[in-house]
Amino acid sequence: MAEEFRVPIGPQHPALKEPASFSIALKGEKIIGVDVRLGYNHRGIEKACEERTYIQDVYLVERICGICSHAHSTCFVQAVEEIAGIEVPKRALYIRSLIAELERIHSHLLWLGVAAHEIGFDTLLMFTWRDREIVMDVLAELTGNRVNYGINAIGGVRRDMGKDKIPEILKRINVLEERTKYYIEVATQETTVVNRLSGVGKVKKDDALKLGAVGPTARASGIARDVRKYDPYAAYNELSFDLITDDHNDVYGRTIVRVKELIESYKMIRQILKDMPDGPIAVKAPRKIPAGEAVSRYEAPRGELMHYVKANGTDKPERVKVRTPTLANIQAVKHMLREMYLADVPIVVAAIDPCFSCTDRLIELKDIDKKDSSVIDWQRLRQYSIEWYRDRGIDFKK
Amino acid sequence: MSAEEDIKQKLAGRFPFLQDKITVKRDRRIFLDVGIDNFKEVLQFALKELNFTFLCTVTGLDDRDRFSLMYQLDQGSGIMLNIRTSILRDDPVVDSITPIFPNADIYERELVDLFGIKVKGLPKGERYPLPDDWPAGQYPLRKDFKIEDLDKKENI
Amino acid sequence: MGIVSKVINWSRLKSPWVLHFNTGACNACDIEIVASLTPRYDLERFGVQLKATPRHADILLCSGPVTRQVKDRLCRIYEQMPEPKFVVAVGTCACSGGVFRGCYNIEGGIDMVIPVSAYIPGCPVSPKALMDGLVKLLKSLEEK
Repeated sequence: MAEEFRVPIGPQHPALKEPASFSIALKGEKIIGVDVRLGYNHRGIEKACEERTYIQDVYLVERICGICSHAHSTCFVQAVEEIAGIEVPKRALYIRSLIAELERIHSHLLWLGVAAHEIGFDTLLMFTWRDREIVMDVLAELTGNRVNYGINAIGGVRRDMGKDKIPEILKRINVLEERTKYYIEVATQETTVVNRLSGVGKVKKDDALKLGAVGPTARASGIARDVRKYDPYAAYNELSFDLITDDHNDVYGRTIVRVKELIESYKMIRQILKDMPDGPIAVKAPRKIPAGEAVSRYEAPRGELMHYVKANGTDKPERVKVRTPTLANIQAVKHMLREMYLADVPIVVAAIDPCFSCTDRLIELKDIDKKDSSVIDWQRLRQYSIEWYRDRGIDFKK
Repeated sequence: MSAEEDIKQKLAGRFPFLQDKITVKRDRRIFLDVGIDNFKEVLQFALKELNFTFLCTVTGLDDRDRFSLMYQLDQGSGIMLNIRTSILRDDPVVDSITPIFPNADIYERELVDLFGIKVKGLPKGERYPLPDDWPAGQYPLRKDFKIEDLDKKENI
Repeated sequence: MGIVSKVINWSRLKSPWVLHFNTGACNACDIEIVASLTPRYDLERFGVQLKATPRHADILLCSGPVTRQVKDRLCRIYEQMPEPKFVVAVGTCACSGGVFRGCYNIEGGIDMVIPVSAYIPGCPVSPKALMDGLVKLLKSLEEK
């Protein structure tokens, strides 16, 4: 069995030139240790922010992540607005929150599909990504783009929302809610799904906190932290919604948290559309931001996002620090994979909802007993994992 | 008294040298400045007595004559405590706080790679975020870093 | 062109095998590439198949502004692809480096590292633009 996945790739051993993203020490099929190597898509954005103006940086930070682009641009402008003492009009805050929740919906549906793909349940991938297109349409109609919406300006938002759009959005939200209820059923009652997700990637509450986990990953271990609730921003202090936690402490819990959060997002969108105040959508902001500093936080779909901005009186920031939720969660992955089987790696890693690029890298497997190592790519590992579970009777094709 | 003011009083009460060094910037944002010799004590106190159980991140800054380090903690109530200390630019060394906050690991590695700060006691592990073939002595987040110097030292 | 090349070109035209590689992108383009394969856009009806290894690929769909870490692997992947091979730069970052041009850890567009056959700009590329670009590439092969 162990021989099947030893696939050396290329004429030169790739691990010599390029570090694998995961280095897994195995005893037979069981994991005894994991090392994670990051930096694959380190682009030097924090430095670039110092060399560009605040206005340019709004568009730059939006492209840190193609799934939560609005999260980054909002988090950034919030910090700048705080330093400059700008009071953003209420209508703009509501529009920001609307786009934020639409982004969360697209992200969680995307994640559901990706997680399904990791365990070999491609039908669910097709369903969820089909439904996701409904949200993408709404986002494109409201902002002009499917991703990288460019909706934020320092001082407000750049586009207003016509009241005529509201009935159509509500109709689509209703459709999505029906579909989501079906996904909740699948996640909680489909035996094969439950079997694949339960008991894997366990982290207890205290450990999750010490390891720095955030977002649905932390909330699935009972940690009741959601920036929208305890450090509210945009319009969240005026919206009523539940903070979703779960106490399974595992991948199953992380799935439950995300699907339930979708329901809360639909709730919030209906409130936003009903209560959005009239008024201006932006105030003028100075080009030069006075000296000062601020820490801005935002509950991105993957968890707490943090931007720290220091201004120095010029039109360029002195320092911009970005702490993404994935960086916070990846440290917990080492802990989660202890005592797991190699076959659990794809879904456990996927369950923290990392960037794709994390899983686009090579994985080094070190067999402790045989004292040798090999390199495998993610596709092969996923295939191995699906077949391993199939051999144990857990199979979506049945 | 607000929760933030209460925290400020407790800190100043326990550490008289923090008098006048603590600012409540706004709701849920407290900043304080402390010398390198005392910052770990303050960190421990914040964790054990004030319930700042979560480390959000560690942020490095190049202040030209010194490096500043900000340890950014969260209480779960939403209140953030930003503990700033500073070290000499000529010999930048700081102790790792991983014994207190294990997840400081990756944030401290950023200080090493991007600022060239030595973090004593950092557990064995991979560098982050720069690649293995990054030219030694080049620290991108330092203010005097020039991208042209990078190419000069490389074999093209 | 000779009859053999015509046949090979015809079969490549009918169902190109595609390898997708991300060189340090923000993932927006990558997601749109995968979205192109889902029911609404269904790139597969054009015979486009996603392959896992360079050795089976006719077309390399490349996203991202090429970070230093990934440069060598990109070259290796290109070398492993059998001739004739085509590279498509997907997204503005892949075309020119996009907003990341000038960043210290970035090479720039894909063509700084390997030859590019087609450029599809967009930030991100929409599935429709991707299909349009791929069809144009396949048509240009037909004309050869």
